[in-house]
Amino acid sequence: MKKILFGSLIVASSLFAQVKGDIEVPYIPYEIKMGKGFDTVQANCLMCHSFGYIINQGPQSREFWKEKVEKMIKAFGAPITKEDAKTVEEYLFKHYGNGKEK
Amino acid sequence: MKRRDFLKTSLAASALLGASKSLAGTTHQPIDGREVSKMAFPEKKPLITYSDRPPLLESPRSTFVHEFTPNDEFFVRWHLPEIPKHNDLDKYVIEIDGLVERPIKITIGELKKNFEQVEVNAVLQCGGNSRSAFDPIAGGIQWGSGAMGCAKWKGVRLKDVLDYAGLKKNAHWIEFNGKDKAAYYKTPNFVREIELHELDDNVIIAYEMNGEDLPYLNGFPVRLVMPGYYSDNWVKMLSHITVSDKYKSLFFMDVAYRVPDNKTESETPTKRAKKTKPITHMNVKSVIGYPTNGEKVYYNSHVVVRGVAFDSGYGIKKVEISLDGGKTWEEANLKADNGRYSYRGFYYPFKPTKYGKIKLMARATNNLGETQPFAHEIGWNHGGYKYNGIDEVTIEVI
Repeated sequence: MKKILFGSLIVASSLFAQVKGDIEVPYIPYEIKMGKGFDTVQANCLMCHSFGYIINQGPQSREFWKEKVEKMIKAFGAPITKEDAKTVEEYLFKHYGNGKEK
Repeated sequence: MKRRDFLKTSLAASALLGASKSLAGTTHQPIDGREVSKMAFPEKKPLITYSDRPPLLESPRSTFVHEFTPNDEFFVRWHLPEIPKHNDLDKYVIEIDGLVERPIKITIGELKKNFEQVEVNAVLQCGGNSRSAFDPIAGGIQWGSGAMGCAKWKGVRLKDVLDYAGLKKNAHWIEFNGKDKAAYYKTPNFVREIELHELDDNVIIAYEMNGEDLPYLNGFPVRLVMPGYYSDNWVKMLSHITVSDKYKSLFFMDVAYRVPDNKTESETPTKRAKKTKPITHMNVKSVIGYPTNGEKVYYNSHVVVRGVAFDSGYGIKKVEISLDGGKTWEEANLKADNGRYSYRGFYYPFKPTKYGKIKLMARATNNLGETQPFAHEIGWNHGGYKYNGIDEVTIEVI
């Protein structure tokens, strides 16, 4: 059997223990496109959610990704610098964009 | 209608007419037939998996032959990444405070012992279920039609527990919070509020699902059950109830889970509705569980179309099936009525007498006479909420 990978690059995924015994949520290694800005995405986004949460939004416009990053900062309090926010937006639009600005 | 509302509506209408298709926003069948993951999550069969942190799992179409969704096939949706590693039943408490005569902390044992235990059969559906039907793609997880399930929930009436704590005269809002936490202190918790008048005897704090403890990923040990409402109100791992006289401004109330506040609850991508309202009650919907898309059946064999239908509690009056792309409809047989908030199972036997592809459709109508529109008749909304288009499955007769 393939060994299940636990823990991700930044933080371990939540470990679950139930009264009936220990159970753990598997870590899923998503296939992610490599490219400029990848490290910044890794450092800023994975603290709160998986790559799956990003790629399963579907291909989106630049404006969509820009608003998403802004939402993470404004609504969810993620400490992302202005510079990093721009880098993340560029990465997301390049690799998970629909080619449209709006 | 107020003049301003009229203006807004007519503007939206002219935008719809004047704009190209993509500008207006369209709606089609949700994405179907995604593969289940090879990796199973705790207490779950392998399901369609969108995210591990927070866990987001969808039931495949084949689940919807069951009138009660098996616990290990039930969808999972969390908002925040930090879910407690362990909930000790002996120590777990729900805290009730705010505008109550006596603030209390109540254990699961006390819940079961001190209050009448009740059961309610009810559908739990994500407001964004079928979101992948919207074009341009609405933001959020691109669910197919499997972010829903139906279970026999057992627990105690929230009303009884609040009565025990004693609501003060000016009590108006009830706020619910669960044990899940964000990674950052500044991130708002997944807190929901309801108004006192929304509370009836069917709203329960549930500790059992289909005769078993709640699965961990469905909110063990207790969650709120609000029959007829979308799942955003069904707070999992419920740990804190606060009663207040004021509405608190909360992200998950004010921004998420809202639709345009107009008759068709729709808008255009370029002209978003200014006024929105919470999604609250579910509209009438049905999903075919068998056959599934691409299924091959033999000519002149006995095929039984099966599925489930539901609404927000008026009850299902009929489900119709079409074998010719929606031109003609025939009534399916309804299975036993398991309660007005429950799935109503349906089945429709037929013998295919023509080779080739057949498009099957299912259309439910509730006791108010509300019926499902065709997918393309549904107006677009940017959150991708409340899709309830007529379900379609294409099979091949060989």
